[in-house]
Amino acid sequence: MSSSALPRIGIAPGIRATSKATSEPAFVRRLLIGIALLFLALFLFLPLGVVFYTALGDGVRIYLQTFRDPDTVSAIRLTLLAAGIAVPLNMVFGVAAAWAIGKFEFVGKSLLITLIDLPFSVSPVVSGLIYVLLFGLQGSLGPWLIAHNIRVIFAVPGIVLATIFVTFPFVARELLPMVQAQGNDEEEAALTLGASGWQTFFRVTLPNVKWALIYGVILCNARAMGEFGAVSVVSGHIRGLTDTMPLHIEVLYNDYRFTAAFAVASLLALLALMTLVVKSAVEWKSQQPAKRAASDGEMSA
Amino acid sequence: MSISVRGVTKDFGRFQALKRVDLEIPAGQLVALLGPSGSGKTTLLRIIAGLEFADSGTVEFDGKDITDQTARERHVGFVFQHYALFRHMTVFENIAFGLRVRPRSVRPSKQKIREKVNELLRLIQLQNQAGRYPSQLSGGQRQRVALARALAVEPSVLLLDEPFGALDAKVRQELRHWLRRLHDEVHITSVFVTHDQEEALELADLVAVMNEGRIEQVGSPDEVYNRPGSSFVYNFLGNVNLFHGRIENGKAYINDTPTGNLVLVRPHSLAISRQPNGSGNHFRATTKHINAAGPLVKIEAVTDWGAPVHVELSHECFSALQLVKDETVFIIPRDVAVFQAKDPDHI
Repeated sequence: MSSSALPRIGIAPGIRATSKATSEPAFVRRLLIGIALLFLALFLFLPLGVVFYTALGDGVRIYLQTFRDPDTVSAIRLTLLAAGIAVPLNMVFGVAAAWAIGKFEFVGKSLLITLIDLPFSVSPVVSGLIYVLLFGLQGSLGPWLIAHNIRVIFAVPGIVLATIFVTFPFVARELLPMVQAQGNDEEEAALTLGASGWQTFFRVTLPNVKWALIYGVILCNARAMGEFGAVSVVSGHIRGLTDTMPLHIEVLYNDYRFTAAFAVASLLALLALMTLVVKSAVEWKSQQPAKRAASDGEMSA
Repeated sequence: MSISVRGVTKDFGRFQALKRVDLEIPAGQLVALLGPSGSGKTTLLRIIAGLEFADSGTVEFDGKDITDQTARERHVGFVFQHYALFRHMTVFENIAFGLRVRPRSVRPSKQKIREKVNELLRLIQLQNQAGRYPSQLSGGQRQRVALARALAVEPSVLLLDEPFGALDAKVRQELRHWLRRLHDEVHITSVFVTHDQEEALELADLVAVMNEGRIEQVGSPDEVYNRPGSSFVYNFLGNVNLFHGRIENGKAYINDTPTGNLVLVRPHSLAISRQPNGSGNHFRATTKHINAAGPLVKIEAVTDWGAPVHVELSHECFSALQLVKDETVFIIPRDVAVFQAKDPDHI
């Protein structure tokens, strides 16, 4: 068999030979693609369709009316506020952590890497509970906070803190492999050319990780707006005050206000769709220079 | 600008990269730091640049102690082995970088920067590539851009780390000549690191040969090649035949006992004869392999006591002798170097 295969490789171009060698009969391919599509339709598109169908079931007027309800408006506001604080903070933290881990050697580096991953590995409910135990009435800092009239748990600060915690790893995780792969050469070059630390960071380091950073921020934002578990534990579900969008949806649903629940849910679903679009755009865009360079490199070589 | 390195030591953990290194580099010279990998040459270059800091010792530029200055303050041009071009910037932006990051008070106008960059682009013959990205250039072009970028800030010293290491032989040769011409035009004190003895001997005014964190010898290419200060230098700078021997009455006697002295002879310093010459300055060997391709005929032989000998003859000598394989001949050394065999591991 091998003796008959050898001369054929010599005749046929390598790529065609391998693609033929690894491809399957047409019916197998159709079957596999069919199963994948069916699965997607059943578990992804159908629920999404139901959300929009139910939301718009009573007409556009009723749908829009939902967003005039003060509690809903408050929930949207709170979600935007929490994400608006958590995302920039985690962006700064993520960049700093990735930079420190990627460019420097220090004691406790592996511990830091593990800690960054902690929010991913801990259940969001536990994350929320940590804050309740820390800042709650029975918590270690609780009495002091009460004495100074600072409310964290069952208030906006707790929600913001919980959101920050669960969205902690996204930016750092996206950036780290990039930063590590790039090494220190360009930074050293900038240094010898007379650039200051900030100039080096903003003109050399940051532009090099731009797409990874945008990608990380998008994911971070999606999670910040969609977080339920951790926020649910610290929120206390005070309508119009400490309900975020995901929590508000649950409240509306439990009140049998299905249209309103699905209308708010459709907003979150829209956000998810937008995130996916932006993410694809970023991925496409970030691959363009590499592709262009690769094809040009071949031409010049 | 002259550079003085005094008693510089550098450890990386338990590895001693530099052991009390002293080096004087006169102003305006093109100097090669030559040595095998791990000899500390790149570390020394990075210490001169301020990218690495010595554990002890001082670095002076023009007699001024700059040991504690950062790379930014030292005003050196550094060309990295893998170029380290800013990949998200065009060729033009790469070269302009050093001028654009200057504080506003000393930053040239946009017009001035453009003129300067265009001048450098002409110098490196890449005027038409100004808008390209580094990934779209060939290795030789990238290296020239890296050089132009370093020169744009008009550095006091130009430091190059294995500048031609990643290029193929032909491009390397071209760039070598180009760098030499450039240096003759600009006259900036330049130091380059290389492990290629041919490159160092051909390009440099002064060669510092390094080995195991020490400088073995500093001198002109002629000096280090023809009057090597140690067996390591002799061995590193060209092909060599190594014999053990002893010195008596100003004569070197070679034998097979690994004691006493090392006698080193370059293959082209050996002559071959069919008759013993009168003075007794010869030894017997049997030819084993003859390779006549190339400018010299290379002959491998084995001495009576079993040591291999490499001889290089001109084609004229070779055809006059009509040598064949497995023939017993007399080998006459014309020029030998004798060193104390205190550290045979170096060989």
